[in-house]
Amino acid sequence: MQACNLQTLPSENNPLHYYVHHMLTWPSLTYVAEDARGRIVGYVIARMVEDAAGAVYGHLRALSVLRSYRRLGLARKLVLQCQEAMRTTYRAAYVALNVRKTNRAAFGLYHDALGFAVHEARKQFYANGEDAYAMRFSFEP
Amino acid sequence: MASTPSKRALPSKESSLFKELLTFYETRQLKKGQKTADQILKKFPEHGETLCMKGLILTHMGKRDEGRELVKKGVRLDLTSHIVWHVFGLIQKGEKNYEEALKSYTQALRFDKENMNILRDAAHLQTQLRLYDGLVETRHLLLKLRPNLRQNWIGLAIAYHLNGNLTEVKRVLEQYERTLKNVPDYDVEQSELMLYHVRVLEDLGELSEALSLLDVNAKSRVIVDRVAIMETRARILSKQGPTEETEQSWRALIQHNPDCPDYYKGLLASKGIDLDNITDSNRAEALQILRDLSTQLPRADTPRRLALDVSIGDEFQELVRDYLLRGLKKGIPSLFVDVKTLYKDTPKWMTIEELVEGFRETQENGGSLDDPSIPSAHSSPPSTSHEAPTTYLWTLYFLAQHHSSRDNHFRALTLITTALTHTPTLPELLTFKGRILKRLGDPVEASVAVNEARLLDGQDRFLNTKAAKYKLRAGLIEDASDILGLFTKKDAPSPGADLEDMQSLLYLMEEGNAYRRKGRLHQALKKYHVVRKVFEEFEDDQYDFHGYSLRKSTLNIYLNLIAWEDNLWSHPAYVASAIAASQIYVKVHDDPSVSKDALSSGTSTEAEKKAKKKAKKAAQKIQEELKKAASTSTNEDKGLEVTPPKDEDPDGFKLLTDPEPLERAWKLLSPLPALVRNNIDVWIAVYDVAVRRGKYLQAVRALSNAKALDPEHAELHLRYLHFRKTYSALPSPLSGPVGAIVSNTLSSLLPSELSSDLYNSQYLQRHPADARAVFSAARGLHLLDHPKEEVEDMIFGVLNREAHLQLKVALEVLAFLQGIRSARAEEFRLACDQKFLLSSVFKNPAELALLQREGSPKEEQQEVIG
Repeated sequence: MQACNLQTLPSENNPLHYYVHHMLTWPSLTYVAEDARGRIVGYVIARMVEDAAGAVYGHLRALSVLRSYRRLGLARKLVLQCQEAMRTTYRAAYVALNVRKTNRAAFGLYHDALGFAVHEARKQFYANGEDAYAMRFSFEP
Repeated sequence: MASTPSKRALPSKESSLFKELLTFYETRQLKKGQKTADQILKKFPEHGETLCMKGLILTHMGKRDEGRELVKKGVRLDLTSHIVWHVFGLIQKGEKNYEEALKSYTQALRFDKENMNILRDAAHLQTQLRLYDGLVETRHLLLKLRPNLRQNWIGLAIAYHLNGNLTEVKRVLEQYERTLKNVPDYDVEQSELMLYHVRVLEDLGELSEALSLLDVNAKSRVIVDRVAIMETRARILSKQGPTEETEQSWRALIQHNPDCPDYYKGLLASKGIDLDNITDSNRAEALQILRDLSTQLPRADTPRRLALDVSIGDEFQELVRDYLLRGLKKGIPSLFVDVKTLYKDTPKWMTIEELVEGFRETQENGGSLDDPSIPSAHSSPPSTSHEAPTTYLWTLYFLAQHHSSRDNHFRALTLITTALTHTPTLPELLTFKGRILKRLGDPVEASVAVNEARLLDGQDRFLNTKAAKYKLRAGLIEDASDILGLFTKKDAPSPGADLEDMQSLLYLMEEGNAYRRKGRLHQALKKYHVVRKVFEEFEDDQYDFHGYSLRKSTLNIYLNLIAWEDNLWSHPAYVASAIAASQIYVKVHDDPSVSKDALSSGTSTEAEKKAKKKAKKAAQKIQEELKKAASTSTNEDKGLEVTPPKDEDPDGFKLLTDPEPLERAWKLLSPLPALVRNNIDVWIAVYDVAVRRGKYLQAVRALSNAKALDPEHAELHLRYLHFRKTYSALPSPLSGPVGAIVSNTLSSLLPSELSSDLYNSQYLQRHPADARAVFSAARGLHLLDHPKEEVEDMIFGVLNREAHLQLKVALEVLAFLQGIRSARAEEFRLACDQKFLLSSVFKNPAELALLQREGSPKEEQQEVIG
């Protein structure tokens, strides 16, 4: 997972401990995509948080698929599995994530394919100064 | 100087000061704590416990050395105080010296048997050190002291589990559950605990009990992880036998997640079908199941892909045709990689080749691929509608990968070139072109191609990483660094430093190997040592979880983590780094002038000098900031973890000139024999170090293990000869039982009635057409002191056509000839250059430097070996 992350995400990189911590705290929220040899080619990591109003929500921390495994719908499948676990295991009220303003592909995935809505804009959110969109998907009908 | 308890007791004023001191420490009010300690020490300068507390506080403030000294002093002055030993243990734990820390904690417990804090820390240490018997005892005590704390029950259960006593685990869990008044529902921690209990029953083989516990708790919503419930259910039912219920459980999982191959495997197993061993009698049934699921779940790729594994003949052709068409039309880059696993079956890859070549021809004739009457390459009536141009592109890309995988690299290149003319802007075409060139042995041109790909999408980190990797393979180390620097942290001393922090094994291994190929052995060694350091970090990462996971109750995954850590050192990257490093150390041991050569080759180029200066400046800045932080008199708590010291040996000179290279090598290799049994390279490496260290028993055992894996292995053959030669040359034979075992084992490896010469020539006779074997036999001649000409004559045999000489082997042969200063080394090099026409690795250094300069914007004169 760590190697996949380093080859895909421009700045949100972390040592192994980060991945272990998430997996050992919220085990049902981690999903990986593997190739025929069992090597990881995509993953999703999430955690559960309580917001200011006391509602429990799922925070999609990182999503990454190797370039060589695009067009298989892996990202969508990973998020859907993770989301479902948030809903059933943790009874999350909604899912939240942040995406770079310039990342059209990711935005398209979340907005069009997965039905996330923009919650608010966050200026200079990323380490390199880029702005983010905070997006949400509500489980309530 | 024995200290008496009377020295420990303080008069009331100092005694309350001491209590304050403890509170200040606990609340991390470090300055106040230090002041208070000094107050006590003014009157009682040899009060061990105060000295220790002061030392502890100083450590927290960053003054490690001073702090440690005080603590040690305090311990000496009051050997029977649990406080001093506890503090000492804390210091040692912070230094990651777990063995010593546990000793200190054990001492502390002698003087305060029921101290919960100490017991808990001791339990964590025992887990880390895998001392499970002790762990069980500690956990028992903790539970006895506080039986109302859930963690203590869980801790005991886990201790029994790790110690291999599942029956006791069950007993503890049942006892604990009886104490629960109201079992909460929708409580994730309780859910995980119950899932753990179910797993224990399952592992004990009590399947019906496991199943009913699962079902009862799932129904009452105590267990809330739906996927875990379904998976556990299916697994247990499968263990009980293939029934309708079992089948349904797998079907439920497939509905939930249609993209997990394990579920399909489970489903077929529930019908008595082994997906990995389909027979003609169950093929039709398996296929029908997969076909049905494919129809029901149109968005799922897995059932359709599995159907390709299962089907044969005409059915296969029909299914794979659809699969390939869909993939090509959609433009899926991984299509070839996906179907490649089918290639071990000859009829299948031939079918695929025929189909896709047919697609190509159809499209070249302007036809579309929707016409179902187009089965093969030999009938393609032009049709009215056209295929989308991108499909053609992906068809060519697929075919290029296909032909390259069958070693038809020229054909592959032609296809890629056509594709590039069609669409010069698709990075995948260029990265694959790079791969073909790599396979043809031209890493420089390969790196040019991949770099072109990178330039097509500067935002893509995948392409960036690939381009850097190819530069490293081409020996263009600086270029690689510049490329990586486009994505690494700007404030890091260098791109490499950031990647080291991020524990990038890919980067460390590739750069280490690049240095090694260039003969800069010190820098290679440095990188391999960093790999070691990264794995030590990985091993350390589990420590926090020994306590954390008990609190969070996520026990199943915690146990998975422990199991993973138990096998950590078998990771391929670690194994490769340990072997590579040990080879360098052995080289240095055999010929100390090697390190002299490496060090002189390490004189940096201008650009490298500049980069080094920059890195040095940045590192200095960090050190200054650290010092500043340390000297500012703030209350800032730096914790007990040691900040990494300044790197005294950034280029690995000290490593390479270590006075005991073999000891260093053995330290790196030592975790491997227990964990990696099936890798012959490991045994060879262990042998090479052991025999030189004089550990003949270990050496000969390594050879036995290697022989069990592959008795005719070329490298092993050479080692047989080497060992006999070394052993016979011993001034006096080994005595006692060890000597007997060694000589007996040697005889079993190399029959004593055969002379080494005879054995060597017989080996050659057994493998006359195997280049590696010929090379090994030739080295055997050299080892047995035959004249150089004889060795050379034999070596040149690898160039014969039948020997199928591979590039990698050719390079090793060349290195060997150069190593023995053969007069025919140059002749060999030229012959290889001819033989491997598209390769650049056999050019002489001047030619290669020229190529590299052309392939690189700024790389200056580089020294190249071979």
